[in-house]
Formats: sequence, structure tokens, C-alpha cells
Amino acid sequence: MINSIVNKFRQRNFVLGFVAVLVIFVLLGIYKPYVLIEGIQRSSLYALIALPMALLLGVVGIINLAHGDFMMLGAYFAYFMNVQLGMDPLVAVVPALIVFFIFGMISYYITFKHVIGAPELNQLLLGFGLSLVLGQAVNIIATNQPRKLSLDYVSSSMKIGDFQFGTYEFIYVAAAILVLVGLQLFLKKTRTGQAALAVGQNPRGAKVVGININWIYLIVFAISVAIIGAIGPIFGTRNTIFPEVGLAYTLKSFALIAVAGIGSLTGVLWVSLILGLSECLVLSSLEYAKWSDIIFFALIIGVIMYRSHQRQVK
Amino acid sequence: MRIKFLVGLLLAAFLTGLFIVAAPVQAADPIKIGAILPLGDATGKDGIRSMELAVDEINKKGGVLGRKLELIVIDDEMKPDKGAAALDKLATVDKVDVFVGGMSSGVTMALIPGMKKYGKVTVWIGGASGKIEQALEGQDWFFHLHTWDYQQIAIFNQGWDEIAAKYPNIKQQRQFSAYEEGPFGTNGFKATKGIIEAKKFVIQGEAFKSAALGGGDYRSVLRHAKEFNPDIFTWVGYDKDAIPMLEQAKEIGFAPAVYVGSPPAWPVDFAKSPLNEAVVFYSMWNEAIKNVSKPSKAYSDAFHKKFNDAPTTYFGPLAYTNIMIVANAIKKAGTVEKAALIKALEATSYDSPTGDKFVFGKSKFINHQAYASPKIMQWQKGKVVVIWPFNIATGKLLYPFPAWDKR
Amino acid sequence: MKYWKYMIFAVCVLVAISLPKFLGVYPLQMLNIIFIYMALAVSWDMLLRSGQMSLGVAGFCGIGGYTTVLCTINLGLNPLVSILIGALLAGLIALLVGYAVLHLRLLYFAIVTLAVTEIFRILVRNFDITGGPEGIILPNAIFKGDAAGTYWLMLAIAVFTIILSWVFQKTRIHFALTSTANDEIVAASSGLNIFKYLVIVFVITSAIQGMVGGAYAQIYGFVTPESSFSVNFVLLPVTMVLLGGSNSTWGPVIGAVLLSVIAEALKLVIPYGHLLVYGIIMIVAILWLPGGIYGIFKKIGAKAHN
Repeated sequence: MINSIVNKFRQRNFVLGFVAVLVIFVLLGIYKPYVLIEGIQRSSLYALIALPMALLLGVVGIINLAHGDFMMLGAYFAYFMNVQLGMDPLVAVVPALIVFFIFGMISYYITFKHVIGAPELNQLLLGFGLSLVLGQAVNIIATNQPRKLSLDYVSSSMKIGDFQFGTYEFIYVAAAILVLVGLQLFLKKTRTGQAALAVGQNPRGAKVVGININWIYLIVFAISVAIIGAIGPIFGTRNTIFPEVGLAYTLKSFALIAVAGIGSLTGVLWVSLILGLSECLVLSSLEYAKWSDIIFFALIIGVIMYRSHQRQVK
Repeated sequence: MRIKFLVGLLLAAFLTGLFIVAAPVQAADPIKIGAILPLGDATGKDGIRSMELAVDEINKKGGVLGRKLELIVIDDEMKPDKGAAALDKLATVDKVDVFVGGMSSGVTMALIPGMKKYGKVTVWIGGASGKIEQALEGQDWFFHLHTWDYQQIAIFNQGWDEIAAKYPNIKQQRQFSAYEEGPFGTNGFKATKGIIEAKKFVIQGEAFKSAALGGGDYRSVLRHAKEFNPDIFTWVGYDKDAIPMLEQAKEIGFAPAVYVGSPPAWPVDFAKSPLNEAVVFYSMWNEAIKNVSKPSKAYSDAFHKKFNDAPTTYFGPLAYTNIMIVANAIKKAGTVEKAALIKALEATSYDSPTGDKFVFGKSKFINHQAYASPKIMQWQKGKVVVIWPFNIATGKLLYPFPAWDKR
Repeated sequence: MKYWKYMIFAVCVLVAISLPKFLGVYPLQMLNIIFIYMALAVSWDMLLRSGQMSLGVAGFCGIGGYTTVLCTINLGLNPLVSILIGALLAGLIALLVGYAVLHLRLLYFAIVTLAVTEIFRILVRNFDITGGPEGIILPNAIFKGDAAGTYWLMLAIAVFTIILSWVFQKTRIHFALTSTANDEIVAASSGLNIFKYLVIVFVITSAIQGMVGGAYAQIYGFVTPESSFSVNFVLLPVTMVLLGGSNSTWGPVIGAVLLSVIAEALKLVIPYGHLLVYGIIMIVAILWLPGGIYGIFKKIGAKAHN
């Protein structure tokens, strides 16, 4: 791992990029320190939610449009664990991992197993149908009354001179790095992970070599759902939850991955960082804040078109 | 011979059946009220339950004009085209006598062509946009029971003027308004800005993305508010924004002298939040009003008894009021015929569970406007206290909003 | 024997034209909704047949809707003319967007069209001329809300779309594009200018969507950023195509009729939770009816033929 980082520093582009990022950080930190801090926190949340989808889409090519809804379920899981058993939502991350791993397996068996190899459209729609069912089921069982736990530590903050900022959201940063490193290790160091990469590149070839591709799809799907399900409790501590809360994040993750380039996990992190920081920068201006949404979509269009242009030139 | 007998028997049976089916229909021939509500939404759920409650109460007392009331509710699914289809079904298939209900402005806009076409008596509790009022100018069959956005703002300001007059230490010269970027928040801010600037006060506003639409990070707006240092800080958004907004205000150490929230409803969990102390809010109704209003208590008790649950939004008592006003007018008119019914509705004077007396008057464009007046309330020790209007107040304003480190 | 298909279609259209004589307002209104989504579904499928998936349906509907309302209000144009202008503008924007992004892969293209929708939504919300977040209400709906008039208008748009899709299936463009969808290299080497054809199809289908959006705005008499760019304009047609059967003209038509009727019936029968049933129907359709309902018909037809 360390070797690969050292190797990266030998590449000129990487060093340039790294220095540019550092300069931007320092400048932002001097100009408006809160933009830097809140931008990083916001970016980490984006990356955190997008990573499990990037794994599923980038490595084995499954598009799961019910992604955000699994997160919503995870948040409800933690909410009711707290109300019924008094369990802290951050502790609930552990049982959520297990519960959603199993739930992911079941969901895969019932639904996605049957559209592997089918046109992308079928996967999209299956995901959409599943999203509708999950959201409506929660709506019927738990009603659409918005819910939010009152936890003291969620609004904890730090004060340096006159400058006061929230510290709780750094948990997103930690979690995003943890998930990214964990997924990289899984893909590079474990047999299953390597097999998953092989399946993603060439399913038929992988089958010929003797990889049980059904098993790989199942495991990767379940891991993705387990992670996003376990992100639910972390997300739900800070945000109000309701049956449709995940929808916006599905879309955002999908777009982030498209910009980062399907297949690149670290790319997701960088794109999230650019997006989060620039959104926060625009939001920090009173006059231009209302245009902050446009950044996101302009970025998507710009990057995708630039990439396709490059490919054409080649 | 046998066949003839059989045919005769069948015919006889058919005729008897017809009589059995037809007879009660003729005797009762209910008065039909057609309602359009978004049933998937908390407001629609409160609305339909309260309407059913009102209809049950009326029918238990023998109905109106010796006829039962029949309520036909159709879900608009918050979709404009579905709302318009619902109106057509109520008008042409169910042949209702009166239209009631309504919630979102978007759906109401799509109903306007249909409403105009049928010209049926409509007593509407939804749609607060001033543009809807303008579109319905001069329609004598249209009765509106919700404040228009500009009225609402004017009333809040009147409230603050009265409060400031009574307690000279309370300041309101500098105001900051954070509003959700949709029509709900934006219209409110436009109207507020006009009124505040006319009073020569200073106002600053900024839009935010509501958590209901994928937002939920309010810190940049709150920081701008903190820099502005307002006497009164107001946020206008949805119930989903309530708790995170407060938590993030605490996080960045923003504690204005008056912290006001103005969502259509409060999430149930808000009452449990330890941060809610001294948060002021605007609402047409809250269960706390039952301590000072008899109709409100009767309504609340009946609702609890029937559903074993509490209404969460003011659309509950408003929908109840909606049915009651229609029923009373039909009673007074002695008929459901349009001209007589409009006359009777114009003479309405109804003590509503919202704590207001509903009497129709003129607003900017329409002639039949009556409303539940917004009230100023405050959370104190986890309970809701009514601050203004003073005649139904249950407590005094806790002022100023305590700093976060002094709690 | 070859012409019986056209005869049946002509008879169906004649029957449909005469329906306002026999039906009440509510069924006509339901048919309006069916036609709206039918035109969207068929046009969306036309592009899909060419190998691209647009998620910008709502965007073009919104552009059409806003254009027609602005034309009637500010320029005092006849509603029908302004609907056509809305369609033209939607087509023009599709031309620009199409030139820039139509060579992208399916998923990337889909995302970009979605982003274009969102950008237009934010634009109309932030400008005063478009009424801001509140939108604009028209003083009068088209034909003063007359049910038969609006019905014929929507019928005309739906029939026009169906005929277009039908003709399209028989033209050179279609064969060029299906060969792209099947094998890009073969198509390219046969000297067909695929990109040009793709742009043409994208412009035509987007113009139809703009026309539908314009008609929607004129029938219901208003535009707002939320409802004119509603996500339903994408989700419902896509679902209809899938349930009815993609890559055909009749699949989307069947899907539109069936799903609209089911949705309305479900709502009247189960006021709460009808969306849950709707979602389950979708999943079942994808898992067990991969070719859609039209696919079953085709299979039965093929068997009978043998």
C-alpha cells in the first residue's frame, strides 16, 4: 500500500494535482475557514453514500436505484433500536451491518438475480420498483411522520477564537476513509475481491476460469447493501428521516459516480471533494447561494462531455 | 308452462330486488360533499379524518334538512392532473353538491379551469398563493378558508407590533428570514420584505434547500444570519427542517433574541428535543388552544375518542371547520341550490376549533375570504404556550432566547 | 390482407374521435391523462429503439410548457400556435444538447439529459419572467376547459405520435439505427451516418415531448417549476414502456392504457397504499414479463402462425 502511494508521487500529474489541492485548501482556509471545514464534511457525506454504489456499479456493473432507500431503512432501523431498546444509533451500526448483509442477500435472490445480463434499462426499472416498494412499505408501517432522535453529541462544536464550528460531522470523514480503505483492501487482498474484479471485467472469462460468478454477484450486492444500510444510522443521527429521504441521495451518488468514471473508487472521493467544496463556496455568498444547485449539474455535464471529447480525440 | 312460471318468478324477484335497493335510496337521498385531499400526506390524513368526524357528528344528529351527509373523498396524490380528474369525477359521476378540501397550491392551480367550468359552490381550505386568488377574481361561488400568503405575514407583523408595544424591551428592528426555496418559502419572504421595509426596519433573507427536497445543511444560511445579528430570526420551511435547523444553530453558536420557526406542522419528536426551549413558532392551531377555546376542546376530545390519536397539523381543525360551515349553510339555506347556498354561506358566523370566528369578508381580489388567524406560540419546558393574540394567550413570551452555553 | 392493420387502426381512431358523444367528462379526462403519457411513452421508446435512453423527458415537457404559457400571456398568441412554438423550442434545445452529447454511452447520456432537466428547472425558478417558484396561472384554459376539445387535442397528439413511430419503424433511419443498437462497428463500416440519424430522432422525440408539455400546461392552465418539470413525466412513461413492451409502437400504447387504468382503479379501491401495489406490479413485470405484455402477444401470434 505504502509502495503504491510512493509510486503515485513519482507521477508528475499526481504531484501537480496534489499541490493544487493543497493550495486550494490553504487559500480557502484563510479566506473562509468554515467553507473548508463544512465543505470537507459535506463532501465526505457524498462520498460515503456514493462508495457502496460505486462498488456495485463499478466492479460488477449492477445499477441499484434503491440504493438510497436501503440507507433510509438503515436509519429507521437505528431509530427504532433506540426507541425500543435504547441503543445508541452509532452502536447500531454494527447490528445494521449484519442485518443488512442478510437483507441484501435476500433482496438479491428475489430481485436482481433475475436481471443480471439483462439490458441496463431493466436493472434501472427494477431498482426503481424496489425503491417504490421499500418507501411505501415504510410509509404504511411507520407512517410518513418525520422522525429525528435528539442526541446531545450531534450538535457538539469547537471554538477557536471567535470561530465556532461543528465537530460531529467529522464522523463522515472518518467513515468515508474507512469505507474506501476497506473496499480497496477487499478488492486487492481478498480472493473474493479479486474474483469480483475479474467478473466485472469479463463475466464469461471468469466463468471459464472457474469462478462462481453467481456467488460473486450475491456477495458484492450484499456487501454494498450492508454498507449503505450501516451508513443509515450515521446519516439518521444528523438528519430528519422520512420514507423518501433516500431518493435524493441515490440520484446524487449516481451522478457522482458517472463523473468520477465508473470503476474508480478513489475518483468518487475526489469528485465529492470538488463538488462539496465548490457548493459550500457558492453557498457562502449571500447573493449567489441560490445558484448552488446548478454547480452540481453543470459539473456533471462539463466533466462527462470533456471525457467523451478526449476519447474521441484519441 | 314451467318456463313461463320460472320467468315470472325471476321477474318478480327482480322487481322486489329493485324496490329493496331503490326504496332506501329515495327516502335518504343524501347530500353529497366531494372532497379532494392528498391522502399520502400528513395534512391530508388529518383532513380526511376530521371531515369524517364532522360528517359523523352531523349525521348522528339526524343530518341536514332531514337528509344524511355523504362525504366522497378522492386522493389527488399531489399530482395536478389527478386532482383535475378527481374534480371531474366528483362533478359528473358522483354529482356532488359542494366541493371542499384542497391542500397544495400546485394542485389547486390545475383545478381552477375545472372549478370555473362547473361553477359549483366551492369551499376551499388549500392553496395560499396570491396568484390563485388573482385567478379566481370575481367568482362568487368560491369561498376560501385559508389565509393568503400576504395576509399571513401581515398578521404575524401585527402580532409583533402588539407584543413590542406591550413589552418595550423586545426589539424587532433587524430581522433575518431563512426560507425554503420553493413557492411556500419564497412568497412568504417577498410579502414579509414589503411589510418590514414599509415599517422602516431592516430585513435580510436567504433561501435554503429543505430537507424534504434533499437538502438539510443550513449552516451557511445560519452563519449569514449570525453575521447579520438580527433581533428576530425566522425560518420558513417544512417539519423535516425543524430539529436539524436548531441543532446546527447550536453548533455554530447562533442564538438570536427571538428564534422563530414556521413549518406547517412540527414533527412529533420536536417536543422531546432538549433544544426546543424558547423556540417561537407561528401556527393556525395547536392542541394547546383547547385550554382557552371550547370548540377546540370539543374537537380535540372527539378526535382522540374516534381515532385514538392526535391531529398533527392545523389542517385537522380546518377540515372540520370546512364541513361544518358547509353543513350550517345548507341548513340555513334550506336547499343545496346555488344562489341560496351562496347567500347562506355569506352569512356564515362559525366558532371554529381553530380558536377563530369564521366570517367571510373581502380580500385583495375575492369577496369570500375567511380564515384561521395565525397565532404566535412558544415552546416552554416541552409544552406549547400561546403568546398572541393576547385574548387567548396561555403564557408570556420568554425573552430573550437563552444563549446555548447558558442552558 | 396486408391492409387490414391500417383498417383496424383507422376504425379505432374514428371510434376514438366520436367518443365525446357517448362518454362523460370524467372518462374523457382519464383518457386525456392516458394520451398524455402514451405520447410520452411512445416518443421515449422511439429513442430507445435507436439505442439511447433520455431521462430528459420532464425537461422537454417543462420547456414546452413554459414556452407556450409565456407565448400566450406575453404575446397573446393562440394557444394552439403557442403549443407548436413550445414544441419547436424543445426540438431546438434538443438539437443543441444532442449535438453535444448524443455520442455518449447510454448511462452517461441518460445522466446528462437528467442534468439538463434540472438546470432548466433551476433557471425558471430563479427568474422573474417565468414567475419564480410560484409559476404562472393562465387566465383561461385552452377551449375554456371544454372536455371534448381538450380530448380531441390530446387524441390528435397521441395519434400523431403513434403514426410517426409507425412510419419511423419502416424507414431507413430506423434500420440504420437498429443496426447501431446491435453493432456499432458494422453500422459504421456500412457507411451510414448514424450520428446524424440519432440527432434527428432525438430532436423529433423531444419536440413531441415539448408539445405534450405545452398541451398539459394549456389544459390545466398553469406552469410551476415543480409540476411542469415533474419527475412523473419520466418515471410513468418509462414504466409504461417496460410493462407494455419496449422496441415497438404498440407496447408503450398498451402499457399506457393498462397502467393508467390500474393506477386510477387502485386508488379508488385502496386509497392508502396503492403505490405499494403499483411498485410490486412493476417488479413482477420486470422479472416475469421481460418482453412486456406486447411480447406475450407476439409470442402467441408467432405460435399461431406456425
